[in-house]
Amino acid sequence: MIEDRLLVWRFNRGDMAALCRIYEKYRDGLLKVAAAVLSDKSGVEDVLHDVFVEFAQSTGRFRLKGSLKGYLAICIANRARDRNRTIRRRPAVLGTQTNPPDTASPDDAAVTHELTEKMGEAMAQLPDEQREVIVLHLQSKLRFREIARLQGISVNTAQSRYRYGLDKLRSSLNSEVRS
Amino acid sequence: MSESEKTERLVNAYLANLPTPDGAEVDGKVLAEALTAMQQAKSQRAADTSRITWRTIMTSRAGKLAAAAVIVAAVLSLTVFDGLTRPAWALEDAIEALKDFRAVYLVGAFPGGTAEVWMRANETRTQSTDVVVKGSHGAITWTQDGSTYHYEPSQSIVYHENALTIGMAQWLGPGLLEMLSAAENSQVVRGKDPATGRDRVMLMCSLIDVHGAQSWIIEFDAASKLPVAMKHWPNLDRSGPPAFDAFKIIYYEDLPDSVFDIRIPPQAKHVEKPLTIPEEAAGILSDPHDGISAEGMTQQEATEKVVRALYQAVIDQDLDGLKSISPLCRNWGDEFLHKIIFKPDQDNRIVEIVEVGPICRTGQSKLGPIVAVPTTVRLKNGKKVEEKMIVQFRTLGGQSSCVVHGIYGLPRQIE
Repeated sequence: MIEDRLLVWRFNRGDMAALCRIYEKYRDGLLKVAAAVLSDKSGVEDVLHDVFVEFAQSTGRFRLKGSLKGYLAICIANRARDRNRTIRRRPAVLGTQTNPPDTASPDDAAVTHELTEKMGEAMAQLPDEQREVIVLHLQSKLRFREIARLQGISVNTAQSRYRYGLDKLRSSLNSEVRS
Repeated sequence: MSESEKTERLVNAYLANLPTPDGAEVDGKVLAEALTAMQQAKSQRAADTSRITWRTIMTSRAGKLAAAAVIVAAVLSLTVFDGLTRPAWALEDAIEALKDFRAVYLVGAFPGGTAEVWMRANETRTQSTDVVVKGSHGAITWTQDGSTYHYEPSQSIVYHENALTIGMAQWLGPGLLEMLSAAENSQVVRGKDPATGRDRVMLMCSLIDVHGAQSWIIEFDAASKLPVAMKHWPNLDRSGPPAFDAFKIIYYEDLPDSVFDIRIPPQAKHVEKPLTIPEEAAGILSDPHDGISAEGMTQQEATEKVVRALYQAVIDQDLDGLKSISPLCRNWGDEFLHKIIFKPDQDNRIVEIVEVGPICRTGQSKLGPIVAVPTTVRLKNGKKVEEKMIVQFRTLGGQSSCVVHGIYGLPRQIE
């Protein structure tokens, strides 16, 4: 997007306001990505912090290929994956605490809330790389081509991870329903 | 709907309801440190490039934060002293938008770190009274009971000045509008903010004031009319990185007292901050034709005489006399001095010198000794105000004389 190009141009010229605007523009979406990928939810803020501090240090030499949103989202996902590996703890509680959604009736809300909770548990069981592609594609709206380029994998691999991930989620949810 | 689409829908619902930390709470940690990192990276790059030279006003972090604090004062009050003439857009609207706010909060960066600034006006909203500036490295500058304090945690020292040297001499409102409308030689640039697409108006100005050479860019949101960002440089041509870059400005109707209640470790050592003036002021203060002779007088006698002469020139609306006693005034236009110093049609113009007190601070400049002296004056509206003035002594051609450098800190209403 042209406005992101302008912001990056200003950022590279040392304009602190540009960094501020980039942060404010993408903060909420990036927090979602971190929360969805991380096994330890208390690390959401730390991941955002690390990514933005590193990004800020690149002023004057940052070169943008593709979208800024995609670049930052991938950085968040990579940092979250590293943290997951360091902690060596499977995401047993990932996504189990969701906010009750706004729906038409209390019954609908209860059903949807239960489903999203189960979805959180199912997401937690996915391998990191499959969960990342799903989150990046659905939350950050990145195309498979961009995910593939930024993660250094082929487009087919990105699509496969996504497809396998969705299949596993569906399978997990179906088994939950049956039991 | 296919099975995949149903699953995608559920994942989207899950992501939409996934709780995340509150953005405002995250900002304090993430954004402040990211900006500090950026500032440090910029400084490192500048240092690495020998072709790029820029002036560092002060070497210590304490000094830089103090500079940032002064800048806040300068930007929000002394802006005035040069720029912003007859702006094509309605400045009145900006002032109208600002008049309901008694407090303001800024976040910005200075060389080596970031700073948060809280400011609150007095009851009559003529100037700021409460100011707190917190640096990212732990240093704090604040005002209390007419004094200014600076706490430097690395040295565990509190520097003290018996004057309000940070804050706004003119609070946001009609008085500020008067100042702005009297100023000259500004540039107004219009544009769009690339992030939001909102129209912005940038005002650029520069001047030499009691703090030395200054220049600013102040960015207004065209729709809300409020200043939303500003940059300050300690030079006239905006060269080099800004000394203070405020990228966020938020206005409040008021702030709780607790914001301004600063507690520091009791073991911190208290040190009186030396009285100084900018080195570049020496040139304009060294004309032997200016000021008054101090031959045969004590410092107190000469100080009282020159300060009384200054205020008498103000009361008499004597422009030449004012410029002779206080040569720094030559940096500003006659119309500006008339409106801002003499204020002929206003209730808050000075009409009487009540008392010139004893010398309260002493220091040294390149030209010789400097002293600060409190003076109580009465305004047309009957109120009494105390202003501290800095007087420069010099020996030129074997003759001792003195001139007034300028005001030391903000005026203080005492009655």
